[in-house]
Amino acid sequence: MSLIHLEDLSKVYRVGDQEIRALDQIDLRIEEGEFLSIIGSSGSGKSTLMHLLGCLDTPTSGRMEICGKDLAKASSDELAGVRNREVGFVFQAFNLLPKLDVVSNIALPLVYAGVPHAERLVRAKKAAADVGLGDRLSNRPPQLSGGQCQRVAIARALVNNPRILFADEPTGNLDSTTGRMILEMFDALHAAGKTIVLVTHDPAIAAHSRRVIEIRDGRITREYKP
Amino acid sequence: MNPLIAISIGLREISAHKFRTCLSMLGIVLGVSSLIATMALTRGIEDGTRKFMQQIGGLEFVSIVSKEPSSKKFEFANLSPGRTLRDAEALKQSANFLSHVSPEIFLSTAVATDGGGNPDRRMVRGVYPDHFVIGMHQIRAGRFLTPLDVERGSRSAVLGDSVAKQLWPDTPAELAVGKTILIDSRPFVVVGVLTLYEMEEQARARKSGRGSARSSMSRWDPFRQKNETVLIPFNTMFHELRSGAFPLDSLDTMKLETLTVRVEDLDYFQPALEQIRSILDITHRGVDDYDLETRQDWFDRMERSVRAARLSGGLISAISLVVGGIGIMNIMLASISERVREIGIRLAVGARQRDIFWQILIESILVSFLGSLLGIFASLGLIEILKSIAPSENIPVLTPDAIFLAVGFAIAAGLLSGLYPAAKASSIDPITALRYE
Repeated sequence: MSLIHLEDLSKVYRVGDQEIRALDQIDLRIEEGEFLSIIGSSGSGKSTLMHLLGCLDTPTSGRMEICGKDLAKASSDELAGVRNREVGFVFQAFNLLPKLDVVSNIALPLVYAGVPHAERLVRAKKAAADVGLGDRLSNRPPQLSGGQCQRVAIARALVNNPRILFADEPTGNLDSTTGRMILEMFDALHAAGKTIVLVTHDPAIAAHSRRVIEIRDGRITREYKP
Repeated sequence: MNPLIAISIGLREISAHKFRTCLSMLGIVLGVSSLIATMALTRGIEDGTRKFMQQIGGLEFVSIVSKEPSSKKFEFANLSPGRTLRDAEALKQSANFLSHVSPEIFLSTAVATDGGGNPDRRMVRGVYPDHFVIGMHQIRAGRFLTPLDVERGSRSAVLGDSVAKQLWPDTPAELAVGKTILIDSRPFVVVGVLTLYEMEEQARARKSGRGSARSSMSRWDPFRQKNETVLIPFNTMFHELRSGAFPLDSLDTMKLETLTVRVEDLDYFQPALEQIRSILDITHRGVDDYDLETRQDWFDRMERSVRAARLSGGLISAISLVVGGIGIMNIMLASISERVREIGIRLAVGARQRDIFWQILIESILVSFLGSLLGIFASLGLIEILKSIAPSENIPVLTPDAIFLAVGFAIAAGLLSGLYPAAKASSIDPITALRYE
C-alpha cells in the first residue's frame, strides 16, 4: 500500500463570485522511501498540493489517504495529530520561534505529542546532535546563521520520527554552498530510508531527487526521473 | 497538553513583555486592592459595631413598643388603654421571669442652676429606680433614685456627667451633690451624679491628655444621650410637670414614652416573652397595639446594614475588576495579532486548536493572577492609609477570606476576558498564519 494516495483530488477557492481551481483532479501515489520533487512556477498549485499533503488543509473533493488514514474529511484535531506524528515540515523561512532556544524549538512537536519533559530534552538534544548543532543548544534563532537555522528546522521536523518529511523551498533563503549542504542532508536522510517530498521552482534542486512531478495550473503535466 | 507547559509558555510570554503586561494588569491590581480594602473596612465597621453593641447592653433587655393594632382588631382598638404604668405594675407583680421593669416618661424643659444663668432646654426623664439597672448606669457621686423618692414624689434629681459639668463647670461631681437646680422653675435637689460614659478609645485619649474634646465633638458619640440625661422620680414628673398637659390623665392611665424590662435569666428568654405577652394581652384587653423589641432584633438590623455596606463596596470593586478584565482582553487581542505566525508554527508542528485555546486562556489567567498578587500588596498599603483615617473603633481588619475572594474574582475576570481572545486565536488558519508577515 502506498504511503500517500491521492485520487481525483481537487481544491477550489472561492474569491467573491470567482472560482479558482488551485488543484484540479490530481492523481498521485507516493511509496515509502521515495525522494520526490514537486516543481512548478509560482501560482501553479504546488504549494496548495503541499499544504494538502502536509495536512494543513483539507481538499474540496476527492480521496486523500496518508499513512493509511483517509483524511479528505478529517477533523482539525485528526489533522493536527497527523502533522504531529507522521509528518515533518521544513520551510523556506525556517519558521522557528525566535524567543525559544534551539533545544526548545526542536522539542516543540514533542510538547504537543505529550512527551514528558526529561525525555523531550534527551530527544531534542539527540536530534540537534544529528544535524551537527550539538554545541549551539542554548542559542536562539536570531543568533544563528541561515544554514544553522535550517538545520534546527530539520531537527525539529525529524524529532518525532515522522514517516514523511516535507520541504517547501528549503534552500530559498540560503546561499548556494549552504543550500547544497542542506540538500546533501536530504540525500543522507533518503539513504537512511525517510520519505522526502521537496517542493521547489528550481529544476536544478529537483534534480537531487529520484522522481520529479511538474505541476501547471493545478494539474500534473509531466513526470520524469532526473 | 500539559497545563504546566501552558503555564511556562505564558510566563515566558509575560516576562518578554513586562511593561505591556504591567499595563494590562493595572485594572486587576486596582480592582483587587480596592476589593480587599473595602472588605477590610466593612469588617472593621462590623467589629466596631459589635464591640459597641457589647458595650451598650446585653441581650436580656426587652423594649415594649407601641404599634398600630392589626386591622382585624382595629374596631375595638379604642378599648386598649395603651402602654401605661398599669402595664409596668402588672409586669412587676406577675412576670416572675423578669428582674426589672422600667417605665419612663419624658419632658423637654428648661433646666438651670438656682444661681441664675440661662436655662438650657433638656430632656428630663421620669423614671423608676429600676432604670438604674436597665439604663446600665453607674453612680459617680451621691445616690440613685430610690423607691421612696418615687412613692413620695420627692424633688430629687440625678444628673448625667455632661449636664453637671455644664451647670457647674469647675465643680467636681462630689460637690455638685446637694446643690439645687431649677427644672421648669421648680427647685430640685441633686442627689447623685452619674459617671462619664465613653468609648474605650476616648477614655484612653482623655487620660493620655490628648484633646479629647475635639475628637468627641467631631464624632458620633453613642453615649451622648446617657451623659446628658436628667433623671427625676416618675411620680414627681407626673405630678409636678406633666399633670396639666392632658387633664383627663391619671397616674395610671398616662401613656408611657418607653417601657423596658430585663429578663432575669437568658435561658428562659422565650418563656419570659410569652409571659410578657400574656400579661399585656390582659391589660390591653386583647388589642395587639404593642410589640416586643429585643436587642437581638436591633443587632440583626445593624448587621444587615453592615452587610449592605459590604455588598455595595464589593460591587464597586467588582466593576473595577470587570474593567481590569477588559484591559486584559485588549492586550491579549493585541498580542494575538502580533503572534499569528507563532500560532501558525505551533499548529504546523501538531498543536491542536484546543492547545492554542488553552495557551491563550492560561496566559490571560496568569496575568490576572499575578495582577491580583500585586493587588494584595497594594491593598496592604491602602489599608494602612485607611487605618490612619478611619475612626479608631472601626479599624480596618484584613481577613484571609477577603484575599481569597478578591483573588478568586480576579482569576474569574481573567478567565472570562481570556475566552474571546483564546477562541479567536484557536480559529486561526495555519496556512494563512504561516504566510503572515
